[in-house]
Amino acid sequence: MTALWAIAWREFASFFRLSIGWVVIALYLALSGAVFSLGTLRAGEPASMRWFFGLSTWLLMFIAPAISMRLLSEETRNGTIEPLMTAPVSDWALVVGKFLGGVCFLAAMLAPTLAYAVTLEALSEPDYGPIASGYAGLALVGVFYLGVGTMFSALTSNQIVAFLGTLFFLLLLRFATLQGAAFVGAPYDGWLHTLSVDLRMADFGKGVVDTAHVVYFLAGGAWFVTLGVVAVESRRWR
Amino acid sequence: MIHATELTRTFGPTRAVRGVSFEIGAGEIVGLLGPNGAGKTTTIRMLTGYLPPTSGRARIDGLDPIDDSHAVRSRIGYLAESNPIYPEMRVESYLRFRATLHGVPRARREGAVGEAIERCSLREMRRVRVGRLSKGYRQRVGLAAALVHDPKVLILDEPTSGLDPTQIVETRRFLRELAGRHTLLLSSHILSEVEKLCGRIIVFAHGQVRADGTPRAISAAPGDAGAYTVEAATTPERLDSALTRVRGAASVRTEAVDARWSRAHIVAEDGAGDLRESLGAALAGEGVALRELRREEASLERAFARLVEADPAEEGPTP
Repeated sequence: MTALWAIAWREFASFFRLSIGWVVIALYLALSGAVFSLGTLRAGEPASMRWFFGLSTWLLMFIAPAISMRLLSEETRNGTIEPLMTAPVSDWALVVGKFLGGVCFLAAMLAPTLAYAVTLEALSEPDYGPIASGYAGLALVGVFYLGVGTMFSALTSNQIVAFLGTLFFLLLLRFATLQGAAFVGAPYDGWLHTLSVDLRMADFGKGVVDTAHVVYFLAGGAWFVTLGVVAVESRRWR
Repeated sequence: MIHATELTRTFGPTRAVRGVSFEIGAGEIVGLLGPNGAGKTTTIRMLTGYLPPTSGRARIDGLDPIDDSHAVRSRIGYLAESNPIYPEMRVESYLRFRATLHGVPRARREGAVGEAIERCSLREMRRVRVGRLSKGYRQRVGLAAALVHDPKVLILDEPTSGLDPTQIVETRRFLRELAGRHTLLLSSHILSEVEKLCGRIIVFAHGQVRADGTPRAISAAPGDAGAYTVEAATTPERLDSALTRVRGAASVRTEAVDARWSRAHIVAEDGAGDLRESLGAALAGEGVALRELRREEASLERAFARLVEADPAEEGPTP
């Protein structure tokens, strides 16, 4: 367990030792800040963070792969995986530690956006329910996306391949469950809709915290992380 | 402490390691010597549990590196071939990280890191990022990380690669100090290095063990017949005819040194014993003046070259 946290902490810290962490945070804050000030901070707009959550969910599809791509690919490429895999650390602790490092970085990236909520508080009387549930939803989507990204990162030693693999998977999931569902129509669309990240996230944005959604994101994330563990383990029997 | 029994590893059609067996006792310093691609790294990876053997088995302290993976890994300190270290980390925090991974309890961690820093003379570099270090210092960080948890067994893959001569001497002195406290297995493709450091050498070539013993025993191994040099005041032709008659001389090669002196290189037959006396007698019989009669020292270098010669029966080694 100590090793797992050591790996997670090292990973988290390394985002800030390298430029990638700062670049991702800066780009995200610039975009979400622009949307918040142009979209929400207008006369007549309700004091909600609806725009922000909508945009962030969409941006996460690109940001999460950028965070997760280096987790294991870079270790494999640089050979630093060898000391890790010859230390008395289980493959579970290694992959989950890496994944948690990414999740912590995501949290660090979202934290400054609380300033938007503070701004709303200063200007108006926002309803904190949807804001809290929106953040919870964003974090859960992040966990799910980073889980997918961790799996792809475990599969290849090339960060670009890991990034593109994750991105295409997430885009495919989005198209299949929205446009695809509309195309096949009833009765299959309901089934596809249950897989949709966007539809589930929309509920969070409205202030609805459905246990089914929470379970979907957490179980989905865990499932892909597990596949990542299997991918790392497979090095030992290949 | 380390047992390898018929270790074999294939990568697709290439057999990188074929039936390697050896045994290393506690406290020994043993060098794996062989040209690049001889299967040293693959063997080491099988010992550390990083790579499962295709067949055969390894044992560290009586435990299997795959079945008792955790127990084996906590006994080993390992410096991987290219010494991979996160370049963005500072020396001290990297060592702390490795100590944590190896289960050094929190209360002892700072002490262990401090000791590793002292032992590897890294004190001035404590706060420097690994990416900014010179190759020599980087190598020391790798060594420090391998021994931060005070392992029973130290396995170092090419610990002196890329170091300059001064650093090599330093590292060698340092590694010698480790003997006794750890069982030390190191690999190298540079002969002089292993020769000076290791009490025992295992010569690898084409994925097989070609020789195993003390440097002296290996250099004197059968097949390395004695070689002699003679200089005498006569023509090369007369020198040649005088020396080829000596019993036990397998081949004689002569050359003129100047107008008066000629030199001969004699290679003895296997098991011919010391030929100096009969060579001298042969020249005395001819009545020629002798100014040099020397037996070449059995050299590990020659033994090594002979041991790793191409093996025509099998395919080449993996890169």
